[in-house]
Amino acid sequence: MLDEVIKDLEVELKELIADVSGREVDEITTQASFFEDLGIDSIKAIEITVAIEKKYKIRVKDEQVAEITNVAKAIEVVKDALAKKE
Amino acid sequence: MDNRQRIVITGIGPISSVGIGRENFWQGILKKKINVELEECYLDGELWDKFYYHKVKDFDINNFGIKKAKLAAIRDWKQGEEIIDLNYLIAAVKLALDDSGLDYNNDDNGIGLVLAHENLGLMPFGFKVSDLAYEMLIDKKKTEVSKKDFYDGFYKKFLKSGYDVQTFADLFHVARVFNIHEYSLFINNACASGLYALETASQIIRSKQAKRAVVAASDHPDIYKYLWFRDLGIYAKDGIVKPFAKNSNGLVFGAGGAGMVLETLEDAQKRGATIYAEYLGGGYDLEGWKITVPQIGSNSYQKAMTNALKRSNLKPEDIDLVCPHGVGSGPIDYYESKAIAEVFSETDPRPLITTFKPYVGHNLGSTALLESAILLLALQNNIIPETLNCEEVNSRFDITLVQKQTKKKLKTVMKSCCAFAGFNAAVTFQKV
Repeated sequence: MLDEVIKDLEVELKELIADVSGREVDEITTQASFFEDLGIDSIKAIEITVAIEKKYKIRVKDEQVAEITNVAKAIEVVKDALAKKE
Repeated sequence: MDNRQRIVITGIGPISSVGIGRENFWQGILKKKINVELEECYLDGELWDKFYYHKVKDFDINNFGIKKAKLAAIRDWKQGEEIIDLNYLIAAVKLALDDSGLDYNNDDNGIGLVLAHENLGLMPFGFKVSDLAYEMLIDKKKTEVSKKDFYDGFYKKFLKSGYDVQTFADLFHVARVFNIHEYSLFINNACASGLYALETASQIIRSKQAKRAVVAASDHPDIYKYLWFRDLGIYAKDGIVKPFAKNSNGLVFGAGGAGMVLETLEDAQKRGATIYAEYLGGGYDLEGWKITVPQIGSNSYQKAMTNALKRSNLKPEDIDLVCPHGVGSGPIDYYESKAIAEVFSETDPRPLITTFKPYVGHNLGSTALLESAILLLALQNNIIPETLNCEEVNSRFDITLVQKQTKKKLKTVMKSCCAFAGFNAAVTFQKV
């Protein structure tokens, strides 16, 4: 079940981040920094967390909110939360 | 509960970096007597860390005309330790009661008490625990310390300080100084505590649990608090809080506190008291998302402000001036600007907006009450202190701030606050 969910996680998260930030999906690479490369500020970063929680029905810890600074980190946080849900 | 009872504020007792006592405080605000100092914390001569904060000058609890024996009893209980935050609370209550002209010297004074603080006694306790642990760990006479011996030695030394962190003892101490025997309560809703405390005091009076009530809140910056906020990335290392600004970089602590006296309009008029304003009502909403991050996109803060208006029988257009939290942290400022813009979206012109943290710093558990004190004095004097340090508002924020000290006839004002843990609150005051 978990494997199925995370299979398309990267694609889904890129789409979600593009949707919230207004950037093109192609610009959002896995390692691109929200702040330095994509011009996403701390306000949009929180909106991304809100959207992630809603989509995956997970709870991101307070300290993880600031850690979600690129797609790779977002995948890590979502995987971690989904695993705990299982 | 007699909701027809009109509740008014008849005493204000502020303690802050701009001044102590109502008049000094207000003059300090008008003349912008900002006092930001660098606090350096040393451990055995080694610099641990340093931070700027708005420091209270020349504060001495012995200078407030409080009976020495009563202060001595508190010191005795605290084993000689002076808890500055507690002293601020006592002084704030004293200043507010004196300002109100109420006689509190007898046991039948009919006064209720509501105190607020985010972490009273916790920081000195933390230092004590750290000191004890360090002493025991470096005790060279003992080559081995069993866990039992360590815990046992530790427990005996810090038990009393630990007990005091539970705050009921401080409620006891403050009540005892002022012969208060009516309903009393300690409140902690983080930065919004002061606004919860005002509503609580009004309910205590309306439910006739006390004829009148004094509310007080305080805070004193400590390095442990600074380290936490620093690690959260929301402390301004340059010591300049810049609310809603393009270049804002976080909050700056402020020491001190505030006291206020509430009673019924009828009682106040009967005894010819100075009435600063009527407390019309408060609105509250608990977001319930995260402790340290606002849920951008939620409407929790809007609900608090809208509820405050409803409970006060007001419409958005009735508000002349709003004083938001204004901490100078991008996401929180954005969250506030969005909420205010939505609540007052159909109001033309929108109410004026100003913020006070650049004057007195972020007083944590007391911030909302201390800033309410400024707001009440602004209302009384028809002068709006401008928002300092915001040369350019962040273009993402739909907000316009008062940029110049302004004389304007004010009738109804709102104080709002979005606190950690999502405690969103707003209250309104109106001239009588």
